[in-house]
Amino acid sequence: MKPTLRQLIAPYASVSIIGMCKNAGKTTVLNQIIRELSAAGCVLGLTSIGRDGESKDLVTGTQKPGIYVREGTLVATASELILHHCDVTREVLAATGISTPMGDVVMLRARSDGNIQLAGPSLTSQLATVREDFFRMGAEKVIIDGALSRKTLCSRKVTEATILCTGASYHKNIDTVIEDTAYTCEILTLPETRDDALRQAVEEMSDPRSILIAGDDGVWTVPTGMAPENALRDPRAAGARAVFFGGAVSEFLMKPLLMSGEKLEGLSFVVRDSTKLLLKQESCEKLRRRGAELQVLDSVNLMAVTVNPFSAYGFHFPKEELMARMEARVGLPVINVMEEAT
Amino acid sequence: MITLSFAQKESIGFQYVLDALRINSPYGEERVRELKPFGRADRAELLRQLSNVQRVLEGEGGCQKTLDRLLRVFMTVKNIRATVQKCRETALNEIELFEVKCYLLRCSEMLPLFRELQPALQLEGISLKDTDGALALLDPEGNRVASFYIADGSSPLLRSLRKEKRALEEQIRRATGEERESLQAARTLVAAEEEHEEGRIRKELSENLRPYISDMLHNMEMIAEIDLTVEKARLARRYGGVMPELTEDTLDMTDMVNPRVLDLLRDQKKTFTPVSIALGKGAAVITGANMGGKSVAMKTIALNVLLTHCGFFPFAVKAAVPLFDSVYIISEDLESVDRGLSSFGGEMVRFNQMVREMEGEFPLILLDEFARGTNPDEGAAIVQAVTKYLNRQNAVAVLATHYDRVAQWGSAHYQVIGLKELDLDAVRKELAGRSGDAGVELISRHMNYGLYRVEDAQDCPRDAVNICRLLDMKAEILQGIDEILTNQ
Repeated sequence: MKPTLRQLIAPYASVSIIGMCKNAGKTTVLNQIIRELSAAGCVLGLTSIGRDGESKDLVTGTQKPGIYVREGTLVATASELILHHCDVTREVLAATGISTPMGDVVMLRARSDGNIQLAGPSLTSQLATVREDFFRMGAEKVIIDGALSRKTLCSRKVTEATILCTGASYHKNIDTVIEDTAYTCEILTLPETRDDALRQAVEEMSDPRSILIAGDDGVWTVPTGMAPENALRDPRAAGARAVFFGGAVSEFLMKPLLMSGEKLEGLSFVVRDSTKLLLKQESCEKLRRRGAELQVLDSVNLMAVTVNPFSAYGFHFPKEELMARMEARVGLPVINVMEEAT
Repeated sequence: MITLSFAQKESIGFQYVLDALRINSPYGEERVRELKPFGRADRAELLRQLSNVQRVLEGEGGCQKTLDRLLRVFMTVKNIRATVQKCRETALNEIELFEVKCYLLRCSEMLPLFRELQPALQLEGISLKDTDGALALLDPEGNRVASFYIADGSSPLLRSLRKEKRALEEQIRRATGEERESLQAARTLVAAEEEHEEGRIRKELSENLRPYISDMLHNMEMIAEIDLTVEKARLARRYGGVMPELTEDTLDMTDMVNPRVLDLLRDQKKTFTPVSIALGKGAAVITGANMGGKSVAMKTIALNVLLTHCGFFPFAVKAAVPLFDSVYIISEDLESVDRGLSSFGGEMVRFNQMVREMEGEFPLILLDEFARGTNPDEGAAIVQAVTKYLNRQNAVAVLATHYDRVAQWGSAHYQVIGLKELDLDAVRKELAGRSGDAGVELISRHMNYGLYRVEDAQDCPRDAVNICRLLDMKAEILQGIDEILTNQ
């Protein structure tokens, strides 16, 4: 018997839900979690990264499910949404002072069942603060509705576990949906570096976008403007075991390194988190074939993938094929939202 | 009115003092941002504020714990002035009512603490109003929890609407498909009625809060004032401030310090030489070689006069300060080049403007190295004439200059002690073999930046030549300098 979503998230005190695209079924998954956990008497704390939960999708105009919570649920959302778009009976618990384009984030307790809309903090540190406030106010589980795409990330600093939502709305070609989802999973779950000296050096670096090289003589900060392939040839990089990129790692940055004859075997390429990795799948593969490993400082604990075989653009995939192929490819539990939702 | 630019406040170290304040409440911070020097007409208010600082210094020892508790409550207060003012005109929404309730809860915590403190501190003109009547409106059950909820019991209609809504929600939990949708639609209608009734209750609450608005605003002012007074006292203790005597026209300061320069020197393991000066109406002249600390003396005077006018204790051992109508600081390094004038031109424009503006006023005028940007012959003439002019005005003026023959036109002459009391041979021995920069460093260590009053007519000390000598200038050139000076 396949585990249900509720069983999958049971061990975690905080869970985030992120989507590959719009209409991937993120809100459906959220509502399902809310319904099942609330019915079991679990006090939930809900917020989102930025804005989500409009009743209609602003881009495609398709009807989106609203977020319907049970009495007792704790919610952190923007004040304007509370005043104009939530119909639960409310008890205001705290004004966080975290500002959003729709007013400051305010924390409230639902004193009845009803509809809410979420627009929470957009910074990792603010999300972590709100999460702790939720626990202090009595939440047993915190659910964070992640942003569209994976621009802001729910690393383990924010939530203990993450669910990735994907589906037919991502692309009309089923192969593309499966391949891109699998690649996203792979990037999201890159291993965390265990190089403590490097971590220490990252904490202390003065320019957060510098490149660092950990080698025989400790950690060396590469001068601004020096390309990584040249830096690796520098005597100061002797015995290099890891290269840390403070900023984004783009094709533009990595192409010359891949073209150079530089020996990459045994090297670790480290980024802060997977949002900083803007490489095509092909380049990642090349790095790997050359014996280099990609690592992150903060990884995501991805525990399941949900799929929505129905596209907002009017077509759908055969659900059995999608499920079977996705499961085989991602190596994680895959759940069909449309089935569990009924 | 005393108005100084931000660059001037920064330069004299006033901003540094403001930044050293550890204000606890947003109302106190607001007060600091809007801080304005008192004028001659506000003498009574200024004295009240100054004496309150004195009372805190004298009384706080006996009530430190209670005072700390009060300050901790200050830290948790939010600035809701705009919300409270809005309540005069219109109904507050639930988030605003929540914030008003939090504020009233804090006021309710503060009141007994303040009542406990007041016998020890005896702060003049400070009181906190009891706003528990307003709190009771927002917390009818008196459970004092910092959350806001319009209780079912607020009106019979609200109670029945919520009951109806709850019944529908119970059914929705069990229903599916079309049935669920029609129940949802019914619920939406009841929720809208609930919203409407809550709106009516919020309006009523806001109206009932109105009689308390002036007391709530009063308490904000008092929080600001207590907060700032306590911090002024802390700074006075930290840097050695003193209750100033407010005089008619005498500016008499003993051992003034400038915290910014003091801290800067301390970081370099050097000490600050306190500045003492006694001035009346007229123009006093401070002379001394470059490197001699004339500018620091000028800035220290400006800082402590300005602080006094803002209700701070001046940092000095003894202080007598008159209330000025205005303060003018003209210093080449503060003239902005963006006006398209040379620094000399800029200085003159500012000076002329000052001469026009000070008509009928009693200003403090500080001219630092006035006209130094032009040739020394003309420069000296300009400064001599300016000194002669200012000496006849209803003003306290101080001119720092290294031009000769200026002091004779002033009312008093101060000189930087400089290298005067130094055994030059001993220093030269110590300097032997040191490179240039280390030499400059050593000289500045031996330089005495204190001021002393010169009674007889005397020109600038020849410290510049001494410095050249200490820095090991080529003997031939030194000899040339001596010859020229003797021939003069």
